Amino acid sequence: MTSLRREPSLLLALLVVTGLVLLFIVYPQVRVVATPGGSGYADFFSGGSWVRPLQNSLSVTALSTTTAVLLGFVYAYAMVYTDMRGKPFFRLVGILPLLSPPFVVAAAYILLFGPRGIITYHVFGQSPNILGLFGIWGVQTIAFFPFSYQLIADVLSRSDARLEQAARNLGAGPWQVFRSVTLPLTRPGLGAAILTTAIYVLEDFGNPALIGGLYTVLPTQAYGLISGFGDLSGAAAVSTILLGLALVIYVAKLRLDGGRQYVTVSGKASSIPRPPVPRWVSWAAFIACSLCALVILLVYGTLVVSALTLAFPTNLGFTTQHFEYVGAHSLSLRNTLVYGLVAATLSGIFAVLAAFLVERGRWRGRRVLDFLLIMPAAVPGLFFGLGYATAFNEQWLDWVDRGALITISMIFWNIPVGYQAAVAGLRQIDRSIDEAATSLGASGLRTFRDVLVPMLGGSVRVGFTTTFVRAVTTLSVVIFLFTTQSTTATITIFQLVGDFNWGGATAFTVADVGMAIIALVVIAVLGRGRVSLGAARG
Amino acid sequence: MADGQPGSSAPEVLPGAAETAHLRVDNVTKRFGAAKAVDNVSFAIPRGAFATLLGPSGCGKTTTLRMIAGFYDPDEGDIVLSGKRINQLPAHRRGTAMVFQDYALFPHMTVKDNVGYGLRVAGVPGKERERRVAETLEFVGLGGLGHRWPNQLSGGQQQRVAVGRALVVRPQILLLDEPLSNLDAKLRESLRWEMRELQQQLRMTFIYVTHDQDEALSLSDWIAVMNQGRVEQAGTPWEIYYRPRTEFLADFVGAVNLVPAIARDVRGATAVLAFGGARVPVGLPPGVSVREDQEVRLSVRPESLWLASAGATAQGMISLAGTVARRAFLGDIMRYWINVDGREWIVDQADPGAGVAFEGSVSLMLRPERAHVIVPATPAELSSG
Repeated sequence: MTSLRREPSLLLALLVVTGLVLLFIVYPQVRVVATPGGSGYADFFSGGSWVRPLQNSLSVTALSTTTAVLLGFVYAYAMVYTDMRGKPFFRLVGILPLLSPPFVVAAAYILLFGPRGIITYHVFGQSPNILGLFGIWGVQTIAFFPFSYQLIADVLSRSDARLEQAARNLGAGPWQVFRSVTLPLTRPGLGAAILTTAIYVLEDFGNPALIGGLYTVLPTQAYGLISGFGDLSGAAAVSTILLGLALVIYVAKLRLDGGRQYVTVSGKASSIPRPPVPRWVSWAAFIACSLCALVILLVYGTLVVSALTLAFPTNLGFTTQHFEYVGAHSLSLRNTLVYGLVAATLSGIFAVLAAFLVERGRWRGRRVLDFLLIMPAAVPGLFFGLGYATAFNEQWLDWVDRGALITISMIFWNIPVGYQAAVAGLRQIDRSIDEAATSLGASGLRTFRDVLVPMLGGSVRVGFTTTFVRAVTTLSVVIFLFTTQSTTATITIFQLVGDFNWGGATAFTVADVGMAIIALVVIAVLGRGRVSLGAARG
Repeated sequence: MADGQPGSSAPEVLPGAAETAHLRVDNVTKRFGAAKAVDNVSFAIPRGAFATLLGPSGCGKTTTLRMIAGFYDPDEGDIVLSGKRINQLPAHRRGTAMVFQDYALFPHMTVKDNVGYGLRVAGVPGKERERRVAETLEFVGLGGLGHRWPNQLSGGQQQRVAVGRALVVRPQILLLDEPLSNLDAKLRESLRWEMRELQQQLRMTFIYVTHDQDEALSLSDWIAVMNQGRVEQAGTPWEIYYRPRTEFLADFVGAVNLVPAIARDVRGATAVLAFGGARVPVGLPPGVSVREDQEVRLSVRPESLWLASAGATAQGMISLAGTVARRAFLGDIMRYWINVDGREWIVDQADPGAGVAFEGSVSLMLRPERAHVIVPATPAELSSG
């Protein structure tokens, strides 16, 4: 595509893409930021109610990120560097949390350690107060270390095994190689992985909402202001603070990794062998991973058991009544599936088209469009959802189906992963391929359709799968948008936990995660065995 | 034989090209940032010619080709195809199919679909398309391979697919960007002949870009040698090789002896070049003039020199006394470096197996009509058109 002036169809495509980005990414956010107005902000900031949640958010983010990253690093190091047993199993266990809403960890935590928890009450006879900072910290550590593991494993596996072989060959020991070769080379990637984890933790809404108690963080405060007081202006102001923090972290991350934003989860091990580590390291790694896996399995096991018993943990009699309940209230599951599939399809297509226009174009301003397409990755789900609620909650828009609005929000909130995958994919396709098609008479869009899209299969799959998984697992984007007719599985689970209907909540969780797994297996089979996931978030 | 090669009276283009040019490049300049990749280049190529842009990497030849294809826009100047200015025409409407260095085959299409792609885009109906694809595959020697995938083909086969894919759309002009440079030497040579054969059969205008002088010399009707964004010289392979106008050109195309000399007895189109004790009478190429006592270069190809035992002379030859500094056996030739008055001359002796290997003092024999004068540093007058 040499010049947009000469190809009106390309110009049109660009205008459409830009228009959609402005309407569905920029406009809602501007609306949120503008909602309080000058005096609103003045009142809000002088009111001071934001100080505690901000402090809380910062400390919980610092704590949870640190522990989640440490665990994730151990897990990743074990997977990439050691020859411990059971790697396929650990890999599978590490993926499981990506397919479920992070806040189910909080639910399991309450079931295990709550005032009537199976461990705290039934084993030790205690009814501790688990709400507050330590509860959130513990739960987020468990909920997010698998994400951090995926990100770190991706970075470590990219480090060049040949360099490590060379260092060993020159006489360095395993630890020395790791410290003097691997770490310096992977530092930017590791930094980016840490910051990405921090964003996940910072914007996590579900876990603090369930077990935060009086310990309010920014997302829960924003939600509380709206649901409790109808204070849209205050909620918008809180969300804006949240967005500011996330943007700061995100910009720092971009400076480190230049915007890589997805990891490829595949069954294939690296082809170049890494130098061996001492036997005891492998064993230590095995034990550490086993403990981590045990915790994860405990979480999901608890959910499954609870879903299949009459009144977990007091009455462990087997029942299918909770699943019958799910069957009777399956609207939210159906919605989730439909929204997820539609959003995933459209997001994948839109992302690839946008990537084509930005990466192959030579027009002015494409850097700006590039930034706008990556930006949603930094936008907390709560803010994004609030933006849609603010921007499109107009009387004259009443004809718009809420389900459609939710779907659109999922499309654009998840654009960055598919978009960046497509940009990376396009960079791997030599321009001479486009030019060959052009010189044979194909216009820009024709080249895109006939040649580039089929070659970008992998990138399209990344965008599709990630969007789908996030659609199935997100709570925060939807929480301000759903109606009774357009409710989703995560909303239902959240409401059921709020009603202490544990059987229903856990059965819904199992059904939701099960649905995600089945869908992914189908996608994997259709996509010849490779599932590529951007890390999901809640 | 004397150098009575047709066209040695050296027009910049083939006879008649200016009027009936199929493609004209007029004063074209292309900048990338501050650098001029192509600097005021002009030439004209007649219909049905095999034209080559030759030059070292970074000389602007590929940029020029890409401007013809429409992948780059010239900053200045015009590109005129069949008498029509095509600067504003998008690349996909120019009818200038291109063959790429890396072939750029579509990896997700079979050979047949690759070749048929241009026809599909043009909306040629299925039956007709199949027929033309089959015909083309046959033509480029790939009959029966239509169902293969590109990654199942050898480099040479892929190259043929690329050529077939471009030919099948019957382009106005076929552009070839170093199409043979990714192949090994043997294959390159055999495909070279096929390429020339193809062009002769089709009588299609080819514009071929290469950095390989052998390729350029053996394939082309017309060559433009480019350097630093300019056309240094354009003409028939014969002129380019035996009548290079600049030191760069003489040096770039083949090995050459460039000997500093002083022009004496300048009379119209002749002069005598004096160096050391020798005086070599030469004819001046059209458009080249020298002043009396001007410093010039005497240019002579290594294969145009002979060696004889010391002290030998011959009718019509200039004999220089020298000693053998080194020699290298290159198979088809023996290359000597002969020291004459402290300056090394390269001499190629053909069929080394038949002759004697010289050592020590020798006589270097130079036939004046095989020598040629180069006037240093006169770039301005050299663009063609």
